[in-house]
Amino acid sequence: MLRMNNLSKIYRTHMIETHALRSFEIHVKEGEFVTVTGPSGSGKTSFLNIAGLLEGFTTGDYLLDGVDVKNLDDNARSKLRNEKLGFIFQGFNLIPDLNLFDNVDVPLRYRGYNSAERKERIEHALAQVGLASRMKHYPAELSGGQQQRVAIARALAGSPRLLLADEPTGNLDTQMARSVMELLEQINSKGTTILMVTHDPELALRSQRNVHIIDGQVSDLVHLSPSLVAA
Amino acid sequence: MFNYYLKSGIRNLRRNPILTALMVITLAVGVAASVSTLTILHVMSNDPIPHKSNLLLVPVIDNAPLEDYVPGERTERQMMAYPDVANLNALKIGSNRTTIISIKSSIESPNPAFGLVDIGGIATTSSFFSMFDVPFKYGSAWSADDDAKSAKVVVLSEGASEKYFGKENPVGKTIRLEHDDYQVIGVIAKWNPLPHYHNLVQGEDEFISDDEIYVPFATAATLKLNVVGQVWCSYGSPQPGVAGLMNSECTWLQYWIEAGSESQVKQIKEQLDAYTQDQHKSGRLPRQAKNELLNVREWMEYLHVVGNDHKISTWLSFGFLALCLVNTTGLLLAKFSSRAPEVGVRRALGASKRDIFTQFIIETMVLGFVGGILGLLLIFAGLWLVSLQTRQLAVIAHMDTTMLMTTFVLAIGSSVLAGLLPTWRACQVTPAIQLKTQ
Repeated sequence: MLRMNNLSKIYRTHMIETHALRSFEIHVKEGEFVTVTGPSGSGKTSFLNIAGLLEGFTTGDYLLDGVDVKNLDDNARSKLRNEKLGFIFQGFNLIPDLNLFDNVDVPLRYRGYNSAERKERIEHALAQVGLASRMKHYPAELSGGQQQRVAIARALAGSPRLLLADEPTGNLDTQMARSVMELLEQINSKGTTILMVTHDPELALRSQRNVHIIDGQVSDLVHLSPSLVAA
Repeated sequence: MFNYYLKSGIRNLRRNPILTALMVITLAVGVAASVSTLTILHVMSNDPIPHKSNLLLVPVIDNAPLEDYVPGERTERQMMAYPDVANLNALKIGSNRTTIISIKSSIESPNPAFGLVDIGGIATTSSFFSMFDVPFKYGSAWSADDDAKSAKVVVLSEGASEKYFGKENPVGKTIRLEHDDYQVIGVIAKWNPLPHYHNLVQGEDEFISDDEIYVPFATAATLKLNVVGQVWCSYGSPQPGVAGLMNSECTWLQYWIEAGSESQVKQIKEQLDAYTQDQHKSGRLPRQAKNELLNVREWMEYLHVVGNDHKISTWLSFGFLALCLVNTTGLLLAKFSSRAPEVGVRRALGASKRDIFTQFIIETMVLGFVGGILGLLLIFAGLWLVSLQTRQLAVIAHMDTTMLMTTFVLAIGSSVLAGLLPTWRACQVTPAIQLKTQ
């Protein structure tokens, strides 16, 4: 699903060069639930941004679902992002002026689905996260946990192959965090690959595989028991 | 997607009503100022007879004496002397010709309420009406035979007909001009070409016509109706009356030639050049100046129908619009900068830079459309105020369909122009940074 070989990312200013990722190697298989951990500044976010085609990389190779993304232009990257990827952010990133229906509608608009198909997908996605009855509500009228569920519905509506989650429970209390994590596990159990950055070791333990990043390199791969996923 | 972006644009404009109102007002004021002056310029520089303005031609022949002549200098004598008119008529130059002179006469009105009143009009030839596509409400123009016989016939303007005969058809009735009875043979329907290109050199206003009667030129000359307008005499004063002018080298007549086709224009010019050379050989036209043959647009330009002050006002108003656009650009920059997080989210969800550009440009077009509507109201108010200034401006200051469309094209075009930089900046948003900072 996702393969990075000898990838590097260097941020340059006129004075300083910062190596965010160096000789970075990772391979995420289809259907996996992989967590990414590491201290602040280790390169987790750079990795996730590159994986999500939100940023380019300096050297190396990156194959997303078999597509070499290195030489793609903005249109092609946007299309690939829209078709293959779903995003869940720590800060939910819902558009405050749009109700839940319209928020979930955003990626589907760029996909070019017709009205009937968009409606069906939105209703299905919101039902999946238990918010079908609140389609006309605005994000400000929901709790943090509910907002994150809407963000998950938005990510799921386009049936992505890979879900990228950047500390999705970081802004939630323990109970809501658990509920969101359970939802992600359900989604993964239906075949969607998930790559999740987290600071929480407990959540990392619940994934199938944990990738630990230090100083822009994968330092450790921990394979966890599949039974833990179901637990 | 256009409808989606349109709805999004309307929603986003409503989100911050004060900022939106500021932008709409700035844009509307700029558009109103520029379109108001442009409207006046548009009417002033209007082609009054577009389908044949290239075929209606004014010959300019310099018949002044040699003294003070600077070779190559354009003559100030824009009218024609009668000998040239008579000679060109005899040569049957072009497919049609007409001579025009303004007249003033006293009329004994059949309507006793008016009594003896002064009336203005034109003495011309029968071809005048067909050359300038004059429409008739009743009757018709007089014939070439009437010209030849100096017939006492008259064509009335619609206003004069209603003034002296009410709503009834006056064709066949008579009116008394000076001391002679003239038979009414036609009434012109509403005809108000702007500018009044057909008779611009005889001291008449370019935009206001007081012409109420039209009589044959030969009749006016024979019956000594009062001719009015400018007369240039470089060879001493003529004998009194119209007959004196006709026998002189004074220039006092407006003369038009109609070409049957574009190709005939060149032929007419050659004939005109040959004619003036012959005249020089026979002792007239000592300057041997270059002749001119001007079509309707060239003629209006030659006479400076659109004054420089109007052109300068238009430039100034567009400068003001540019200032308004700079302000709108600043306000849009502020508005779009605050939308960077939304851009970041949309980019992450699959919007390309092109999608973001389209969305924001459509939003600025919505702004331009609203600005256009408000601008239109301001334009109507502005034109109304302008029309109160003079009678001429009252005629000129009106809006037609072209200017109505221009208002919206200008408003939307201006808003797009003002929105280019803010939109481009919005497209440069780095989604990764925005998504992390929310």
